[in-house]
Order: sequence, then structure tokens, then C-alpha cells
Amino acid sequence: MAEVVLENICKTYGNNFHAIDQLNLSVEDGEFLILVGPSGCGKSTALRMIAGLEDVTSGSLRIGGVDVVDMPPKDRDIAMVFQSYALYPHMTVFENIAFSMRLAGKPKAVRKKRVDEIAKTLQLTSLLDSKPANLSGGQRQRVAMGRAMVREPAAFLMDEPLSNLDAKLRVQMRAEITSLQKQLGVTTIYVTHDQTEAMTMGDRVAVLKGGVLQQVDTPKRLYESPVNAFVAGFIGSPSMNLFEATLTGDELMSGALAIRLQDAAFVRRPGLRSYAGRKVVFGIRPEDLYDSSLESGRKYQTIPARVTSIEELGSEHIVHLNIDAVRVDSGDPDAVQDFGLASNAVAKFEPVSTVLSGSEIRVALDDAKLHFFDPETHLTI
Amino acid sequence: MTRQKRSHHKLKRAVAPYLYLSPSLLIIGLLMLLPMVTVIAYSFQNSAVLRRDPSFAGLKHYQAIFDDPVFWASLWHTLYFTCMSVIFHMTIGMVFALMLNSDRINPTLRNILRVLYILPWLFTAVIIAVIWRLLLEPNGVVNSILMQIGIIGSKVEWFSSPETALHAVTFANIWAGYPLFMVSLLAGLQGIPKDFYEAADIDGAKAYQKLIFITIPQLMPIIISISLLDFIWTMQVFPLIWITTGGGPIYSTEVLSTYTYKLAFSSYNLSQASASAVVILLISLGLTLFYIRYQKAR
Repeated sequence: MAEVVLENICKTYGNNFHAIDQLNLSVEDGEFLILVGPSGCGKSTALRMIAGLEDVTSGSLRIGGVDVVDMPPKDRDIAMVFQSYALYPHMTVFENIAFSMRLAGKPKAVRKKRVDEIAKTLQLTSLLDSKPANLSGGQRQRVAMGRAMVREPAAFLMDEPLSNLDAKLRVQMRAEITSLQKQLGVTTIYVTHDQTEAMTMGDRVAVLKGGVLQQVDTPKRLYESPVNAFVAGFIGSPSMNLFEATLTGDELMSGALAIRLQDAAFVRRPGLRSYAGRKVVFGIRPEDLYDSSLESGRKYQTIPARVTSIEELGSEHIVHLNIDAVRVDSGDPDAVQDFGLASNAVAKFEPVSTVLSGSEIRVALDDAKLHFFDPETHLTI
Repeated sequence: MTRQKRSHHKLKRAVAPYLYLSPSLLIIGLLMLLPMVTVIAYSFQNSAVLRRDPSFAGLKHYQAIFDDPVFWASLWHTLYFTCMSVIFHMTIGMVFALMLNSDRINPTLRNILRVLYILPWLFTAVIIAVIWRLLLEPNGVVNSILMQIGIIGSKVEWFSSPETALHAVTFANIWAGYPLFMVSLLAGLQGIPKDFYEAADIDGAKAYQKLIFITIPQLMPIIISISLLDFIWTMQVFPLIWITTGGGPIYSTEVLSTYTYKLAFSSYNLSQASASAVVILLISLGLTLFYIRYQKAR
């Protein structure tokens, strides 16, 4: 087990494309860190650089205090679980798990003992003679984990290992990987584009965008105190609603919209006063918008909105709304998909809500949960 | 629907697939099956083709060719020629495919090599035979180079010497045939997921271990399929040997195809030639059945 430290890591490809720019990250011994971000943000590149599968253009990379920048992958004392699992189809489960020991010339008896132990932990004992083609997605995933565990590495690197599984199995495997990591206590760096995985699995989450680290924090703090509009939009599902408005006195004005701000909002954010008379970006999460006709929404101020469509999920209603305000793009390419053509906001209403698609309603808004961002830099105010 | 109508409909449904297949079945029957059956029939007749009413000969012609030492020499030459060709086609094809698939080779050089390596495939058997006859002439380029670098002391008559002729035709056939393996294996190599090699890198595999534990097992289905096909095709090679050596000198390059041809068109012993052809057919059939069983097993 070891600490993994990245200092000023850069990765530039031949065509002058900067995949990673000045990445500084410290993963503590035994920590489960999630690298998350939209497609092309450089998270897999960062992981592959830690593994030694990509060269580091500049910067320092230490695993267990040893600088590994010039070391080949095999000497870095890491194990990796690939998105495709990379299981050798011509080998049995046993041979796949024992492969690294076979390469290292370990005696057959030692190999068998170790593989049996791991198979027991991962409930693969009855499948040791099977070929990967005869296994289910979850079983293959476990074999891939077994192949990583057999090496007893200082750190586990996982590159979107659950992306090939169906939604139900993904939830199960998420829990299995988390508990296994806790049980083994091995430093783990896990790449995903799925923010639900990021929020539920890791001790800390590092959010990347365009090769630049945006924020590293606990899932709770990322959700409550994002450092910029991108993190605010990326973390949470559906994404945070972001709009542009003018701060006039104690009110946010945008079209027919007027949101009164409490004094507490200015106390918490002393910088907000300096935006008086200027444009500001405000954000509100879908779960902080309420159906004003229900008890839960009665205590909050309301804004007018038109319901464009409703997704009834049983436990909640995802209500797509059109609000008279200019929506702001957080810079997350995946977030655009949350909005229908005619809607510019999303709300999560209780399942007892009776709002109808196409109706004009008033949406209650918990103004204490508003987030504010600079319209130019998109940094949190 | 009445019972009569129903049975008519059933019959139509049963016959329809055969009607669709009939044009191709007819062509195969006329061009392949009929000659094959005719040759088998000839092999059991005396003076086949030459007489209007040939008499039944039983296994006499088979007995005759099995008693002929030239037949056994031809069979041995055919096996040597075929086995060496397939082994070297596979080895050279694999080496060249690995080279063309390697990231370590400059892309421009790789494209040039790709064209160069595939050149032998562009020539017909006759052209290949003529090229190698010219190259391996006593006064040809090969002798000249080998003498200059001191490998041979005097001119070697590659195709005219009984000691070297079989090796020389085999060499020419190897040169002509490796691109099939190279192209097939290259396609196979490009289909092996990169993740396998990366996982092996992390596990500490050396280059040769990756070749043994990943590349070759992944290519095995292609290697077996192409080897079997190459074995069947090479066993039947005729023009290359006929044009370069004609089976000589002193039967040293006689293979089953030239042996059969000579029986038929030099000695006009069409019955024995047919018996020899049936032997070739049986060997090819055995290999084909093996190939089909392997494909089915996959």
C-alpha cells in the first residue's frame, strides 16, 4: 500500500494537444479516489500515466515515495482493471488470475494457493476452470478484480470498470468494489464518467475538465460547495439549473423572473454585493425546486414556469420546465442532454405532485440553496 | 384449407429451397462432380478413354502405381514440398506480419514494406516460375551473389542438379506463397485488443512472453485454418514445378501432380493417371474433412 502523488503532471501529444495540464493530486495511503469528468477530460490519460502506459511529458509522479516517471509499468507496483477487463479469452479463469505469477516464475503450488484464496474472496471458486466467454458480465468483472488482487499491489487503478455492465448489475458491483477496497485497504484510483459512481464510491472525488483539475474534495463538499459552475453542473443528477440574471438590490432579475434574496445569502458570500447592478450566474439544484401546491413548497417564494414534460419515476417526478431566464451552459457536454428542446430547467417533485405537462405553474424555490457564479470566470462567488 | 391444398402447400415449401439451390448444384455437378466420378470410373477401367468399350480392371491400376517407385518418390517429394512450403509460409508470413504491425517501424517504411512484401502475390505461377528460372540459372544473379559473398565456390545448377532441384522449387514456392499468411495474420494481429498487451505489460510480460501467451494463441484459429488450406492447395501445385523442372532431373522434383500429368499425357496411360488422381483426391479429401471438422468445432 502506498501514497500516490502527482506533481505538475503534463501530457502533450505530438499534435500539440494538451491532454493534461499541471495536474497536482495527492492520493493518500488506502484512500479511494475517484477521477471523474466528461468524455475527453483527460481522466483516463491521467490513470494511464500513473500505470506507465502513457509517457509523462513533464512533472513528477511518485508511488510509495518512489519517482516512477521513467519506470516501466511492471516495476510500479500497481495493478489495473481495464474497461474491457482485458481477460485473455484462451485462458481459463485460473490462468487469467495466475498469469502475473506465471510470468514471475512462481511455483505451481504457490500459484494455486494464492488463486484459491482470491477466488474464495471473490466467489469465483466454482468458475476457475471456465473460459471468460462462458462468464456473465459481473463474473468477468470479478475475474478482472482477481487478476489485479493477485499481485498484492501498492495501488489499484481502475478505468471505468463498470461501464460494460447493465444498470442493475452496476449498482451491485459498485457496492462490491467499495467493500472490497475497504477490506483490502489498498490505495485505489478509479476513473469514471458516471457521477453517481463518483459520489457513492470514493472517499474523495477529483473533477477534471479539459485536462485541468477543477476540484478535489469529498462527495458531500463537491455537491454543497462546488468551486465553479462546471463542477456545480457536473455533480448531481439531473444537473444543477444555471441561469443568468441581474442583481438589483436584493433581487435577482431576469425577464419576468424576480427572486428575492435573504440577507443570509449576502452574509455567506460577502463578494456578492459587488455584483449589484451587474450580471451574475445563479444555480439551483432540481431537488431544491418544489411544487408550490404541495406542503413542502409552501414556505418558499415562487417563480412562474411552464411544464414541458414529466418523467414519472415512481419515487419522484422529473419535471422539465421552461422558465423566463437565460440558461447558462456549465461546460459539461453531457449536461445538455438533461434538457428537452423546449425546456431550460429541471425540477425533482414529490410523486404526489399533480402538475400536468403543458400547464403554467408556480415553482417554489429554496433561495438558501442558491449558488452564485461569476458570469465571466464561472467561479463561485 | 382442404387436405389436398394443405399437402400441396407443404410440398411447395419442401421443394422451394432445392429449386433455389438447383442452378448452383447443376453447375457444381457438371463441372466438378461429373469429372470426378468419370476419373474414378476410369481408374477401374482398362485403356480408359482410348477404347470405346474399356473392360473392368478392378484395382489393377492402383496396384501398378503402388508398385511404381516413382509414385512413392513423387509422394515423398509432394510431402516434403508441401510441408516445407506451409512451415515457411507460416514463419515468414508471421515475421513480416509482426513487422508490419509494429509501432516501432516508421509509418512510411511500413507502407513501402507492405507493398514489397505483397509483390509475390501479384504474379501468376508461370511468371514466378520464369523469374526463378532466370534468377537461379547457373549464370544467374543468385549464383553471382552467393559466389561474391563466398557462400558457394562454383556455380550451382539449382534446377538441374538432383541434389538441389527439389529445394530450389520449394524455395520458389515459399517465395510465391507467404503473402497469404502475411495478410491473414496481419488482419488477425490488428484484431487483437491493445488492452491485452497493456495488461501483460503491467503484469511484467517480456516481448517473447507476449508473443507466446497472447499473440500466438489469439492467432491460432487463423494459423490452423490457413495452414490447412495452404496444405491442400500446395499439394496440388503443378505449373511452378512443370515450368521450372518438369519433374526432373531424374524424377528428383517429381510430385504427384506432375507424375499424374506425365502418365496421362506423355505415356497416354489414362487409367493409371486416373488411379493416381484418385489417390491425390483421397489425400485432399482427408485434409478437407479435417478442415471442415475444425471449422465446425470452432
